[in-house]
Amino acid sequence: MAAFALAADPRPGTAVSFLACPIARDTGPDTDLCFFAEYDGVRYALVNPPDWGVPQLKHRVLVEGRVKEGAPYCGAVPIEGRASVIAELDDSCNTLLPFDGIIKGIAGGVFNSGTPQQRALAEDLARRAALDPALSIEPAIAEALPPPPPVPPFERRTLSIMYPFDSDRASGPDMIKLKELALFAKVAGARSVQVIGYRATSRLSDGSNLVERPQMAQARATKIASILAALGVDAKRSQVSWETQTIGGSGEEDWRNRKVEVSVDP
Amino acid sequence: MKLGSLRNRGVLQFAAAALIAACAVPLVILADTYDAAEAWWKPGDQRLMPASADYDDPLGRVRILNAAGSVQTKDHPFFTPLGANGRACVSCHQPSNGMGLSAETIRKRWDETGGKDPLFAAIDGSNCPNLPQAERSSHSLLLERGLFRVFQAWPPRGSDGTLIQPEFTIEVVRDPTGCNTDPIYGLNGRSPTISVFRRPRPVANLKYLLELPHGVPPSDFLFYNDKSLLPRNPETGGFASLQLMSDGRDLTPRIQARDAALNHLEAHGALSEKQLSQIESFETQVYSAQSFDKVGGNLTGAGAPPGLGPEALEKGAPARLGNNPINRIFGSFAMWQPVNSAPDAENSDQPQREFRESVARGADVFYLRRFIINDVGKYNDKGLGNPFKRSCGSGCHNTLLMGMDLAPGYMDLGLNNLPWANARPDLPLFKVVCNTDAAPQSYLGRIIYTHDPARALITGKCADVGASMTQQSRSLAARAPYFMNGSAANLRELVDFYDRRFNIGYTEREKVDLVNFLGVL
Repeated sequence: MAAFALAADPRPGTAVSFLACPIARDTGPDTDLCFFAEYDGVRYALVNPPDWGVPQLKHRVLVEGRVKEGAPYCGAVPIEGRASVIAELDDSCNTLLPFDGIIKGIAGGVFNSGTPQQRALAEDLARRAALDPALSIEPAIAEALPPPPPVPPFERRTLSIMYPFDSDRASGPDMIKLKELALFAKVAGARSVQVIGYRATSRLSDGSNLVERPQMAQARATKIASILAALGVDAKRSQVSWETQTIGGSGEEDWRNRKVEVSVDP
Repeated sequence: MKLGSLRNRGVLQFAAAALIAACAVPLVILADTYDAAEAWWKPGDQRLMPASADYDDPLGRVRILNAAGSVQTKDHPFFTPLGANGRACVSCHQPSNGMGLSAETIRKRWDETGGKDPLFAAIDGSNCPNLPQAERSSHSLLLERGLFRVFQAWPPRGSDGTLIQPEFTIEVVRDPTGCNTDPIYGLNGRSPTISVFRRPRPVANLKYLLELPHGVPPSDFLFYNDKSLLPRNPETGGFASLQLMSDGRDLTPRIQARDAALNHLEAHGALSEKQLSQIESFETQVYSAQSFDKVGGNLTGAGAPPGLGPEALEKGAPARLGNNPINRIFGSFAMWQPVNSAPDAENSDQPQREFRESVARGADVFYLRRFIINDVGKYNDKGLGNPFKRSCGSGCHNTLLMGMDLAPGYMDLGLNNLPWANARPDLPLFKVVCNTDAAPQSYLGRIIYTHDPARALITGKCADVGASMTQQSRSLAARAPYFMNGSAANLRELVDFYDRRFNIGYTEREKVDLVNFLGVL
């Protein structure tokens, strides 16, 4: 542990890319766990990945990001970027730190998530249910309002969907955007929908390369195309393709190259 | 220990409690509730199923509510034998068992009929059709664990009939029933078949299972597991929720009825559209929940927790997240907390008060007591992280009023796969070896020992081995044993499984409180 105390924290903006075992930390009896990973004597917080990036013990994690300003999180240096869980089992990655009484989590819940309207409705229901317990079985989480329907003039829209390393599992937020794009394509009577899949190489900070499997670009593209078709986008007007070559890595935000690009031309 | 003895004391006081309850319920309920001869619904019985009726169960009474009004069972396809073996749908979905079927009821039927009841049909009511059917031992899984044989062609076919190329090979390691190695019924027979053994799911409260989830976008059209599309409901063209079956093989009540008629009822032909519509109409309007506890008394009506009883389910909004401080999955139990349940003129029954306070504490344990959830295949790996820290209610059992997982997704809790599964020498054991290019099961890898590949028998995917859909938590008292393979004989064993699986460290009081809480749902 002394090595970590001696290593100087990298400056904000420094790019990092490495494979490591994630380490889980308990943050208190009423809060979630947090994760960090150690590389070159520094602990990096795995703080802001979308849903697919939440680390898993028993699996290594590919960390790609930049050090960002701000207070330590999970007792580690915050970074902006992505984490990818490596699919293969690695039983050596199995460290869970107990709650130390110092690094505490923040409890989530219905009152600090959702839209302002959803939160207001929940708070109102909470007040009324305190007086009338029968209301405690009324749904507390109101449906989010659907996005407004697309209206003319219709112009080209694009969407880049990012992926974890060696995976065709997109994030929930990206899939919500895809659903909106499918609606746009239908309403706008799109004459062309183009789906292009890519795979990429990640250049690690130690100079080595991590290359995705050859079939990933195709798997990503065909999966997105099938979802669009099932959501009512005219398959006859869709072009689906994928790049067979991997996009080379630079060691800086290589995660942006693992993607599917969707463009809709009205 | 004091709390654990409450139920025993309650049994002694049951006669008095029943009298008190009898004054509070309509005569139509009394007529059906306490006539022991009527508890078993025999296929072909021509009876009127009341709009509301209570049935005795081991902890009190379960209430069956027909929202569309009373049901005349004469010639109704749910209640009428439709095939060669004399069974009807009601054979395995008994009102007195919360529209499921308890092992206790099964044993009683064996004893009363000498094993001649259609329940024990060779096709799936015995450990294997090749066994001597008159012997009790040939039906041991059904009698002891309430398990029916589910037999599925291997490799599987998609809903369009196309053959699915599995990502794994499967071999039989141990075959206590003899069915998986049988030359006719087994994996190496002319028509390769895999036999696994599962509990029937209750046919009640289905609106909560059939509606697509609210409040967990984009899971209204995508699997939570991998962000692939949900399957389409062939009848409506819309997406299907996948909550109906433990392995998702039948998407709707109509499809399930067709499948069950052929495989469980041994129907001579397909059901007619009229029959399917009748079955669907019945199944989608029937609600079931515990209504009375032997110690706790009435569970519904004025002063009772609002989420209890089938009336709440009938009125409730389906497919909503309940894991928030307002809903707490099953609503408030504050009225049974000590500050609110102090003795008064109308509530001087000390065992009842103590029991209700225990239930209220159990509701807190269910909703608030967090623990580390680790290595659950198809769960921790779907974006939650491994480990993940949640309570029962804020984790997997989050659906308002129902307590199953709202977002469509399967999980390997550890019921089927080693090393987590309870010791089950009575069940077949399979060795699954996944192809090297297949995505592995996240925490077991590519070599998996399992009693039931579950969802993987439908999809052929390595990562799905052992995974199943969580199920509703209502009417539990009426339909023991629990889990899809009947591993828990009672609610205490159910709680003990979780405590062991996740190293929770529940105290004895927490366990008793949880058991009491689950028993009133």
